[in-house]
Amino acid sequence: MDDDISDILASVSAPLPSQRKLDLQALTRAWVNERTSPTLLPYPSQLIDRVTDRIKKQIETIEEMTSDMDPKSNFILVVLQTELERFKFLVRSFLRARLAKIDKFPYHYRDLALSDPNILSHLEQQYLQSHQALLASHYHASFLSIFPQGLQKLDDTTGLSMIDRPEEDSAVFCRVLRDAGGVVIQSEGGAGEVELTRGDVWVLRWRAVKDAVVRGDVELL
Amino acid sequence: MYAEQATKLVLDAKRLASLPHLPPYATTTVRSVTKEVRDIERENSRLLAQFTAASTQSSDGRRFDPSNDPGTAAALLVNHLSMRRNKRCLLAYHRTRTNKLEEMCWNGADVAELQTSTVQVSAAGEPRHATTASSLSAEEELYAHQYSDLLAAYKGQWTDIDLTGSLEPPKDIFIDVRVLKDAGEIQTEYGSITLTKNSQFYVRQGDVERLIQQGYLQRLS
Repeated sequence: MDDDISDILASVSAPLPSQRKLDLQALTRAWVNERTSPTLLPYPSQLIDRVTDRIKKQIETIEEMTSDMDPKSNFILVVLQTELERFKFLVRSFLRARLAKIDKFPYHYRDLALSDPNILSHLEQQYLQSHQALLASHYHASFLSIFPQGLQKLDDTTGLSMIDRPEEDSAVFCRVLRDAGGVVIQSEGGAGEVELTRGDVWVLRWRAVKDAVVRGDVELL
Repeated sequence: MYAEQATKLVLDAKRLASLPHLPPYATTTVRSVTKEVRDIERENSRLLAQFTAASTQSSDGRRFDPSNDPGTAAALLVNHLSMRRNKRCLLAYHRTRTNKLEEMCWNGADVAELQTSTVQVSAAGEPRHATTASSLSAEEELYAHQYSDLLAAYKGQWTDIDLTGSLEPPKDIFIDVRVLKDAGEIQTEYGSITLTKNSQFYVRQGDVERLIQQGYLQRLS
């Protein structure tokens, strides 16, 4: 993911930005993508690990500086703490956006995680499973245990499926970061194709650009 | 009448989705809906029993064949669909309520706290404790407890981030707050502050976030 961005940046600015800057950019992008995409995106575990490590270090630095009680460092402290709060906000909002999606379509993502283990982090998997177990036992205790056996399932797919799915056909705004070839779009006049060239901004169906977003060729707005 | 009670539940669920508090659990309605399901189930087995009995007694006895007996087939189908509908309605009702409970857990008002805080209110002369306690069913109370445990466990993995923190992007790290209720003494990096009612402070947002959520402090803009 990192070298994906670095080649774009290299073409814009001459000196290569530091890993920290890249991570901030990647985190911001992941956050916007996650908040605007209708489906869950793969969990960027390495990025999150690096960022949380750095947050931890920064908290330690701030604690050291405050214990020094040096009046000259007060201004720097304010800057550092503001930055820290912003980082924490990004990670928090990112994780909450993911949890909201997981809670909305639990069975869908449970099944999806079996075929694609990268979609959820280990913790999210645990959360998903325990949360659904809690819900199931709550339903059972409240009314489901009285129902006939055949109707007790919560993920029944005969007849009307009980597994809700996210709407993959909803429209998203996106910007092309790197030439990504053509995508097929459906219109009233039949199928057409649009060429995704760098710098373009499109409104497209999520289904059409999903792969390009996961690859990092396209970002959502 | 069929399904009338279940409709009530759905309307209730729809209404409570926009309410700030949780209205009392509709124990009687839930019970009558589950009873309806059991009655339908009994009638179904009665309808089917005459066929199974007939086919075992004599070799040329009637086997259940929907095309020979469209009346019974239709009755069975309608019964089956009513049961499924009732199940959906019950699920929708309970899920809406648990969503509400989860939201409360995220906002920091976990059940134990909710009860203790209402006890304080009742001590001040307003006996609201009884109404709050009874608006949850026993199962729901258990669920809320378990969910807040689950949430705490998940949050514990992200200590530096504070997942339940504000989802508003941070602007200033220091904010003006007014104390609405005595909250005792809190420890900050800049020493301890005693929060007495009606006093005003300029404090770090991160230090007092929880107190704002719990209603001890008010943020001044």
